[in-house]
Amino acid sequence: MTRLPSATAATAHQRRWFAELQAQVAAGAPLALVNADAPQEIFRAMGIPYVVNQWWASIVAAKRRTQDHLARLRERGYPDYTEQYSSTALGSAFDTDPGTAPWGGLPQPSIVLAETTGDASRKIFDVWGEQPGVEFYPLESAAAATVPERWWELMPHRWEEAVGTDRLDLMTGELEGLIRFLEQRTGRRFSEQRFAEVMALVNEQEERNRRTRDLIAAARPCPVAVTDSIPAVMVPQWHRGTGWGRDAARNLHDEVAERIAAGSAVCPGERARLMWVGRGLWFDLDFYQRFQDRYGAVFVWSMYLAIAADGYVRHGDDPLRALAARFAAFSDQLYTPPWSAEWYVKEARSHGVDGVVHLVSDDARGSWATTRALRAAGIPVLELHADNVDARRSDPAYLDGTVGGWLEAEVLPARADA
Amino acid sequence: MLPGPVHPVPGPVAGYVGADVPVELLTAAGYTPVRLAGSPSEDASPGRAYLGGGLDPVACSILTRLLAGTYGPLDVLVVSRDCEASLRLFYVLRELHRVTDVALPPVHLVDVLHLPHRTTTRYVLAKVREFRSWLGGVDDAALADAVVAHDRLRARVREIGALRAQRRLTGTEMLDVVRTACTRPVAEVLPLLDTLLTELAERPARPGHPIHLTGSSHDDPAVYAALEDAGLLVVGEDHDRGDLWALGDVGLPDPGRLELALAERYQSAGPAAPRASIRDRAAHTAAAVRDRGAEGLLSYVRRFDDGPPWDFPAQRAAAGVPAVLVDRQDYGGVDAARVVRELHLAVAA
Repeated sequence: MTRLPSATAATAHQRRWFAELQAQVAAGAPLALVNADAPQEIFRAMGIPYVVNQWWASIVAAKRRTQDHLARLRERGYPDYTEQYSSTALGSAFDTDPGTAPWGGLPQPSIVLAETTGDASRKIFDVWGEQPGVEFYPLESAAAATVPERWWELMPHRWEEAVGTDRLDLMTGELEGLIRFLEQRTGRRFSEQRFAEVMALVNEQEERNRRTRDLIAAARPCPVAVTDSIPAVMVPQWHRGTGWGRDAARNLHDEVAERIAAGSAVCPGERARLMWVGRGLWFDLDFYQRFQDRYGAVFVWSMYLAIAADGYVRHGDDPLRALAARFAAFSDQLYTPPWSAEWYVKEARSHGVDGVVHLVSDDARGSWATTRALRAAGIPVLELHADNVDARRSDPAYLDGTVGGWLEAEVLPARADA
Repeated sequence: MLPGPVHPVPGPVAGYVGADVPVELLTAAGYTPVRLAGSPSEDASPGRAYLGGGLDPVACSILTRLLAGTYGPLDVLVVSRDCEASLRLFYVLRELHRVTDVALPPVHLVDVLHLPHRTTTRYVLAKVREFRSWLGGVDDAALADAVVAHDRLRARVREIGALRAQRRLTGTEMLDVVRTACTRPVAEVLPLLDTLLTELAERPARPGHPIHLTGSSHDDPAVYAALEDAGLLVVGEDHDRGDLWALGDVGLPDPGRLELALAERYQSAGPAAPRASIRDRAAHTAAAVRDRGAEGLLSYVRRFDDGPPWDFPAQRAAAGVPAVLVDRQDYGGVDAARVVRELHLAVAA
């Protein structure tokens, strides 16, 4: 099957945008490096270009350069074995020959933004903040003693109830501080009107993603390769709040609808529908295709389209508090039970999957609850132990043998009996 | 030194995990706060099955012991968010309550955060109030009494800690002092510490090469004992079961501000590895090395304790003494001979 035009267009747009970014930064524009789970819409509204930390790590991994980057950290006495997905971009800061780096290298940011999650994430950004000309703005990452189930029904409009007033007060206060910090640091103005426009564009984009997700969930056979849907969703995600991002989401929706109408199949003779729980396996994107070719097993789900569909939309009269609600509990949606576990079950059921491959890394993500919930719902789960960017523990023979053995032993026989 | 075997704590017991639980509220509510510790000598695979293979083994051990009832009856269980492992432990406990019939005490999370901003203080204050409400029935007078008692306890421990500059006690002994202070009723511990201070004033200096120990915190004496048996003397550290535990008082403001005073004390508690910035940690290390007369810096880091190795380059640069990092160590284990050898090499360099 030919690639999805949206995926090709997204990748091409990103390359062009990045080349323009390098020229802007060379001409003196500020640049922010921001964590994926941090509120980027303020930068968008203020016209401050930003690169998403984990997105850059995924490019470095796809170009097979992660080990070079981790080695630079090791040479400076920093660990190369913790939070590699978050620390890869820091390796770019120590690159003495950025001309040979992916896409001409990551320009040096002037501002870095991250939440204080985990025990190491904040430290990685502390090191960023020690680099000449770089300032780190840390955001708190608050946790809740009690959380609601079925958050996806509450979030679009009843987010105050879902996230909790204390967390929203904290994040809103921090965002007001961030705006003041950016105004002083860059001399750029924050317009409430412009910000409201950005927030409206984001909601439009994510509503389109929700419709696309629902189309794919209902479609038999699967019309889109996960390796296409990921870039077609995530590149526009990093450009959300723009007309281009909204239109890219619309194009993706229309292309998926057309394929379904035409009866197109990623894998003719689809024998099993699989769900991939976890971050993308960026160093081995052929991974997903191999099981399709060998077993007729199609990955019909990744978190990227699904979280775009359920995790971002926030309507409300106060755009800044709505933005706080988008991010105050963002990682909960993916990684904190019961929120995460029940959501994965809901998605597995709506997509009619025959099995789940659950990527379990060494970082602490609450994997037990997710696997338990899926199995309790009667869905076979394989826990695949690997890091999503660091290939040292995950050679293809191990990955293929583990997943292939599970498909043959559990998933395909069950599907045949059904 | 302090009495050896501990007898059971009388009355209601609140087990707690992590350094950020405002224990004053537990005392005021009528509980004896008992800080839970793991054990490196016990199999922790039951806890690991829930928490995963990538989390600090201390949390896996604590969960294993909770599931096995090793701590005895606990009336409530309180978890702080002092590190990622504690937070993940709370999530698993909450989920075990929700989806299994495993017998566990009622559990509550106290989400104390540490950025030095007013927004954070307001949030921590809300969490202190939420905790007080969860406990129920804590009146202001009892809380004021508890604040005074715990401040006094911290002051005594600080006095004892300061004697480490004169090498009057070993690091292993100091660890035991803090263990006693956070597992026994305050009224019982205070006279013991007074007696200990009197004894230490007359005590000759302990032998050993004086070092400052940073990196992972220790809930078990095995590593300290191995290092000190090998000829080192831990005269200072930055652990939440050591010097950091006693840093900072709540004070006794007017009764209407007790909760705020608690919030500010716990928000601003000492710079623990999982939550403080690299810069703050390095400055604290340099000051502690100087104050205690340490002649070496050792960063000992357990496997899956992700924060401390990021601190080490700046700590080494700031300390001004020979420095060694041993990372990815097994829980409770250390090759003390290797540490001594590497410290000698660092001296030679």
